[in-house]
Order: sequence, then C-alpha cells, then structure tokens
Amino acid sequence: MTDPARDIDALRTQFAEELARASGEPALRAVRDRYLARKGGLVSALLRGLGAAPAEERPRLGQLVNALKQEIETTLDARASEAAGARPPTGAVDVTLPGRVPGTGHRHPLTLLRERIEMIFSRMGFLVIEGPELEDDYHNFEALNMPPEHPARDMQDTLYLAAPVRSLAGSAATLLRTHTSGMQIRHMETHPPPVRLIAPGRVYRRDNLDLTHTPMFTQVEGLVVGDHVTLADLKGTLFTFVRELFGEDRQVRFRPSFFPYTEPSAEVDISCGACGGTGIDCSMCKRTGWLEILGSGMVHPAVFEAVGYDPERYTGFAFGMGIERVALLKWGVEDIRLFYENDFRFLEQFPL
Amino acid sequence: MKLVYPWLRDFVRVTEDVETVARELGLRGFEVASVEQGAHPVIDFEITANRPDCLSHLGLAREAAAIWGLPLQMPGMAMPAPGPAEDLDVEIADTDLCPRYCVQVFEVKNGPSPAFIRERLEAAGIRAISAVVDVTNYVMLELGQPMHAFDLDRIEGRRLVIRRAVPGEPLRTLDGLERALEADMLVIADASRALAVGGVMGGKDSETGPATTRIALESAYFQPASIRRTSKGLGLKTEASSRFERGTDVNAPPAGIARAAALLERIGAGRPLGSLIDRYPSPTRPLQIRLRAARIARVLGQEVPPADVPRILAPLGFLVAEGRDADEPGWLITVPTFRVDVLREVDLVEEVARHFGFDRLPSTFPVLSAPQAPLDPRILRDRLLRQLLTTAGFSESMTFAFIEREAAMPFTEPGGQPPAIANPLSEKFAVLRPSLLPGLIDSCAHNRRRGRKDVQLFETGSRYTSAGEGRAAAFCWLGSAVPPHWSGSGRLVDFFDMKGALELVCAGFGVHDPHFAAVDRAYLAPGRAAEVFAGDVRLGVLGQLAPVLAEARGLPAGEEIYVAELDTELLGRAAAGDTLRAESLPRFPAIVRDVSVLVDEALPAAAVRGTIRAAAPSTLASVVEFDRYQGKGIPDGRISLSLRLTFRSAERTMTDDEAQDAMDRIVAALAREHAAEQR
Ligand SMILES: [Zn+2]
Repeated sequence: MTDPARDIDALRTQFAEELARASGEPALRAVRDRYLARKGGLVSALLRGLGAAPAEERPRLGQLVNALKQEIETTLDARASEAAGARPPTGAVDVTLPGRVPGTGHRHPLTLLRERIEMIFSRMGFLVIEGPELEDDYHNFEALNMPPEHPARDMQDTLYLAAPVRSLAGSAATLLRTHTSGMQIRHMETHPPPVRLIAPGRVYRRDNLDLTHTPMFTQVEGLVVGDHVTLADLKGTLFTFVRELFGEDRQVRFRPSFFPYTEPSAEVDISCGACGGTGIDCSMCKRTGWLEILGSGMVHPAVFEAVGYDPERYTGFAFGMGIERVALLKWGVEDIRLFYENDFRFLEQFPL
Repeated sequence: MKLVYPWLRDFVRVTEDVETVARELGLRGFEVASVEQGAHPVIDFEITANRPDCLSHLGLAREAAAIWGLPLQMPGMAMPAPGPAEDLDVEIADTDLCPRYCVQVFEVKNGPSPAFIRERLEAAGIRAISAVVDVTNYVMLELGQPMHAFDLDRIEGRRLVIRRAVPGEPLRTLDGLERALEADMLVIADASRALAVGGVMGGKDSETGPATTRIALESAYFQPASIRRTSKGLGLKTEASSRFERGTDVNAPPAGIARAAALLERIGAGRPLGSLIDRYPSPTRPLQIRLRAARIARVLGQEVPPADVPRILAPLGFLVAEGRDADEPGWLITVPTFRVDVLREVDLVEEVARHFGFDRLPSTFPVLSAPQAPLDPRILRDRLLRQLLTTAGFSESMTFAFIEREAAMPFTEPGGQPPAIANPLSEKFAVLRPSLLPGLIDSCAHNRRRGRKDVQLFETGSRYTSAGEGRAAAFCWLGSAVPPHWSGSGRLVDFFDMKGALELVCAGFGVHDPHFAAVDRAYLAPGRAAEVFAGDVRLGVLGQLAPVLAEARGLPAGEEIYVAELDTELLGRAAAGDTLRAESLPRFPAIVRDVSVLVDEALPAAAVRGTIRAAAPSTLASVVEFDRYQGKGIPDGRISLSLRLTFRSAERTMTDDEAQDAMDRIVAALAREHAAEQR
C-alpha cells in the first residue's frame, strides 16, 4: 500500500530536481505543463489518487497537495519572470563567441631559451657577441690548443667545405664551426683583458639525426679573463646561472673532466628533475640522479699564448652548453629533431 | 675501459664496495658509463683522451691509491731464468715513428690459458684465444702496454726491421683483409716482407697458433700521431692503436715483457730464451716542472694545505721534491713518463685540484673591473627582427644550414654553384644554403602535410653565396591573410600582405622610404616579384613563389604562396642610427583634396605619385592612393586611380584657393605626362 504523504514529498523533490535542470523559457513551460496541466498533470494525478486514502485522512492530504500546487506555481512564476528579465538588451553581443586574436607569431623555443640565457648573463655583466659560422682551422682548432692530429679533434666530428668560402670575418673558411669558441679567439685577438662575454650561435657536427643529435645545434659559450679569475669563480658563476635557469631547488655538482682548451676542466651536473635526484628507476638520468649540462674549465695557457695574452698575469675561465640539451632537460622535450621540423603543433606549445 | 674490481684489488687493497669505488673515481674525472655486479664486478669508465695511462688497471689503481691513501703493490715481474738464446736481429730504421722497440724470444706451449686469465679477460670485454695472445692482452689491460707476438719460425732471415712501408706494400692483417700500405705507415718487417702494421695490427702470415713453439714478443713505443694517421688511413681501430695513438709510456716496454714472462711461467705456457733485446737509441728524460703554492691558489681560488700536495701527487707516480727557492714556496715535480698529459705547471694544479676535491672549492664571483661594452648590434638587430615579424604574424622556424643541391639550385645566382660540403652526412645535406627560403618552404610543406592550412613562418640566419657567408631573414606565407574567424570576411594572402610585412620591418628599423621595383627571378612567379631598396641599397626581394617550384616541394601549385628574403647585414646598416630629432607638431590646419584619374593600367602608381610631387608646391605634405578600380564604366586597358593629397604650410593657414591652384597644376601635369583624365 502506498503512503500518499510520502508521494507528495517525492513529487516535491522530483520537481525541484527538474526545475534545476530547466533553463530558458521553453524548458520552463514544459515543466509547468508536466506538473500543473489540468488533464494529465502530475499534481492532478496525485489529487485523484487520494480517493484510495482513508476518508478521515483525505482533507488533510488534500490540503497538502494544494499547498504543493501553490508552491510549484509560485516557483515557476518567479523563474519565468527571472528568465524574461535576463534577456540581453538590444544590441548586446554574445561574449562567449571567440574573439579576433591578432595574428601574432611565436618565437622559436630555442630563441626563448637563448634570450633567457643571454638575459641571465647580461645581468652578470657579460657581453653577448656574434660571429662567423664558417671558420678556418686556426680559429676553430689550432688556437684552442688542438694542433693538427690532436686526438681531441676526434671529440668533434667536423664538416669540411669542398673549397674555401669567405667567412663573415673575411677569412678563408674551410669548415663549419664545431663550437662558438672561434668567436672568443677573435675577440681576444682584438681586445685586451678584462673579458667577460658569452658567444651564442649555431654550430655543426657530423652527427646523424637521432633523438638526441642533430648535425646543427645551438651553443652558448662563455669566457671570463682577468687578473684574478679563479676556478672558484667559475663554480660560483655557473651555479648561479644553473639555479636561475632551472630553479633554486636543484642541486648542482662540479666534477673534473677534460677539454683541450681548458685546464683544469670541469663538468657541471644538475640533479635530475624527473626523479628528484634519487636516480631510482629513472631513465632520464640513467639512474645516476644527475644530468650533465655544461662543460667548463680554466682557460689553457696555450690559448692565451695564441692570442697574445700573458698566461702568467691573466687567468680565465670558459664554459659551454648546448641549448637543445638544456631544452630537453628543462621542458622534457623527448626528441631533439622537433626543434628543426618547425611543426606548429610543437611551436605553439611555447609562450609568445 | 672496463675495470674488473677484483683485478684492481691486486694493486690496491681497497675495502670500499664497487659502487663507492665507481662514484669516487667518477668525482675525480673518470666518468662512469655503467657498473655491473656479479662474480667479477665491473665498472665501465669513459676515459678522456688525455689519460691513456688509465686505459689500464694499474693507472686506475694509482688513482685509487691516492684517494684512499693506500700503498700500491706491483704484480710479479721477476724475469724467469732464460733458456739458450735464439738468433734474432732487430733494427729500427725509422726511429721518429718508433723511438723504442723491445723483443724477447720465448719457447711456448700455446694451449688455452687457465680460467683466472680467461675470466678476467672476458669480464673486461676481450675474447680469450690462446695462452700467448691472452697473456699479451692481460698485460695490456693490466699495465697499459700493448704487445704483439710473432711466430718466430715465420720470421724470414731471423731479422725484424721497423721501417716505413714501401708505397703499395701488401699485407694481410689478422682480420683477414688484404691491405695495400702507404708510405708513411710503419711496418714491422722481416728480411723480405712486412709482418705487421706497427702498433695497429699484426699480420696473418706470422700469427701465432696452437702449433707455435717459439715466439718473438714485441713490446714497443710508437709515435702517437703516426699511429693515429695509420689507424685512420686503414680504417682500423684496435685496442693497441687506441692506446698508442693517445700515448703510452715510453719506459714501460721492458716491464711489459717481464710481466708477460712471469705470467707465461706461472701458467706453464713458456719461458724466455736468451735476454731482452731493447732498441732505445735516445732515451726520454722525465720532465721536471716547478709547482708554486701561490699558483695553485691563484688558479683555484682556494689555498691548498702544503702537506696535501705530496700526499696527492706521490701516489699518482710523481716525484715530489721541496722547492729550493725561499722567495717562492713550492715544489720541484718529476713527471712520470706515463703521464703524457702533464706538460706544464697548470696540469699539476689540475692534479692537485682533482684530488683535493672540486666539491671543496668555494663558490665565488669574478670581480667586475670595467664596465661592460654594449650588446653586439647584430644581436639587437635580430631581436628587433623577431619582434617585428612575430607582430606581423610570422612564427619563427629554424632549419639546417645545409640542404640538398636540387633544392638549392633555383636560389643560386645564375651560373653559380652553392658551396659544397666535402664530407656531407647525406645528399640531403650536400651544400650550404644560398638562401633561407628552401628550408622555410620545406617547413611550410611539412605543416601543410599535417593539415595546417595557414602557415606564416620566418627564419633569421646565415646563407652562403659567391660573396661568402651572409646574414638574412626570410619569410613565407600561405593560406589566410588574417586568422579565420566566425564573423567571416576571410581572405587569402596576396602580394600586398607580404609587401606590408616588409614595409613594417623597414619602418621598425627606421628605413622610412623603402622603394620597390619589379624584377624577374627564376624562383618567383613572373609579374609578381619585386626588389626592395633603401636608397640605392638593395635590401632584398619578395614575391609569389613560382608554382612549379612550390609543387616540386610538395605544396599545392594552384595556391598563391608569398615569400621574401632580406639581407639583414644591409638592413642593419640602412637602419636610422641614434640620430632622431623630434619635430614639433604642426601649428596650422591641413587641407585635404582627393583626385581620381583614369590612367593606363600598366602605369606604376609610383610614376603617378612622382608626377604629383614634382608638380605640387612645397606645401604638399603627403600623397597616398586610396582606391584603384578597373571594370564597369572604365575603358579597357585603363584604371581609375584615386589619391588623397594633404597640403599644409608651416607658416600660416592655407586658403582653399591655394589648394585649388595646386590641384589644377597637378591635374594638368598628370594629363601631360600620363594622358590622365580626371574623373
Ligand atoms: Zn632521474
């Protein structure tokens, strides 16, 4: 046997739910019909159902149904006038339609990073220089303590020109620069110490394309020369830079390495962001917890001799990094080739 | 270099586990590629080019001895009692390539070697072969001295000559290949022929085998650059050549023989016959270097306690004597000949720093002693270009500086060739780009293939012409002129969109009156190409890409694609310098007059403008086209051109009569010069 009082409450709840879903005048009208129509309306059906109730209960139940009917009418009237009042004024625009975005292009992600790096070093008093991409053997190798047949030349597989081409510096270039160090040699040849500069630019190596190699990539090298420049200064400069670029929470490590043009030489690692430096089950850092980011060292006296600086009086440091590698580590880009495909689906992921 | 941990412990009784040993050596410059646990734990180190001495267990053991302050113990190297000597004559003909050559004759039983040798070799990544070969490899991995065994009975005339090869001299090397040698390659020859490429690989004819009973065991020092050249020339890199080319210890060859003799005796595989033959005409004297305490602090930025210096350097094999110069405290260091990387004081500073610990250095900042020079103007120029072009809707791309010849040719000046790369990775990267456009066009095609309709790309970078390296900016535009929008009014890009972008760039650089002249270019559609000038300097070119070229690079031929390229060096030079003077605003009102004329459709608008300027009084402030109409109501072959002229005087308010008078003269001049009719 049904309980009419409970049916009344159930209908009230049902109405409240349907009303909440109804938006706009047509929907409200449909709700009104469903509940209040004289024929077939849910409220009249409820009233008719009272016939089955005990006679002494009927007056009280009848009052309850009428109260519900009143309530529904009042609520629907209120919502209907509300809906009418919400119509936009004449000439109003639909603010939810898409706007006309001025057709603004994106800078390349490598440019974003390069300019960021330039900014950090500019603030530390570094000059930013530019120079030729075609080089002669002297400026790319010999002046950097890599005479012909030096084994370290194997560390950088070089692309050579079939015939000499005039470089931007006016020299007869025979190769595509393998690093931007040639610019630094040229700067020292023409400027006495002190020197404090970075040299960003494209460099070329005979590397086949794969996930982490392209035959052209972007490097930023730096050089500081003065009366009292030390390895500790190098450490402080690079730690400041790395923390500013990657965040204060990253650990930085400085360990010995080898480059022909620096002595002592050092590699800079940052703690791995993927595993928080623990190395646990981490493919990013090959479970070491560290990621190599920069090569560096104290300028080799032979380099100073090549440019006519007195290696007894002056000391200096140099460093270099590949911007693509920084980008891989910073943004989690998984395939370095994406930087040279110029696919809009990639370019547009980076801010303007 | 694979370091077998128990082998290391033959030399230094380290108590730390293999992971700790790997980490500590890693922090001293020996990068760890991997650590393998197991019965023979192995640490695989990437040894840098300057440390050939550490391509051996002994070398790394010295480092470990310095780290943990442990004594170094050498393995058994006592020469066993020899049997009767055999005849063997040894002569170094080319001492420049081979400064030292040692040989010892042995009688041998060349069976398999015992398990301890085989297991260690295999743990280190070398296949076990036979007692004689295994012992030579064992000694190489242990001491770093490569060795080679000749079958004594295959040496004709019982004579070894170390000489340069005769050009074309044949030799079948151990890998089975017949090789023709070149004149500057060093060979070990007998009385009649070459037996081995010195320091690189032995020959098949004198190879030892199970039947071998007597060997001549070579232990030599070869000149590194020569080995390097030969190895490259033959395309042959071996364990021996990779050690010799970086520099072995010139004083190690006798030790190598002694160690091999001790091992052969121990495993019952052989005994020496006669005594050691050692050809070493001009012995190398070890280098002595002064190391100043002050220099260490000067380079490192950190004082190192004086007692630390001998504590670090002695275990590494350096002889440390207190310096006698009271004014300049320091040491006199004798460099062992195996440390081919230590040539000057700073190399010793590095040794001290490595073992003092880079982690113990303070972090300081270099003192600024002079104000910094301003940014390179070329850096500023490229930044401004990027700003202007992204504002104009172009996204920045980066493409390779080398491209395929076929893509380069249409952009190469007539009769010229793009500079070629001597050793390109592939035909796709064969020549230096004469223009940035081919790469940019390919990037556009890449985006089109992936469903992108509207593409606006630019690149700044280097290009290469007969004049050499230059700098340029290129842009490419296809699809909509304005971003698509629900309100409609979409339009495809046309010539004047691209020209507008160029005008924007010029304005951004303060080049205020660039002018444009029609031009013919093979890669541009005829009648849709122009050059842009600042004064008489040609800044670049723009136009519609030739449809046949677009199609060849995978772009739709039926669509108009616009491209442009500017010489940014010239643009930078044409830029207005920092000479700007602000003008005061006009004090008197302007008078504006419009005029519409019918002229020949082939008459350039610039000619009309020029005639107006010439005929107008100096009060003409500007003239600009605001409509161009052709079609209904206009005779065939003619167009209606409407221009708005603005007159203003700096001294007074102009009258309508003055303006009318000027307009009359202008219309008359247009009629005279261009048969123009006023509408
Ligand atoms: Zn990790």
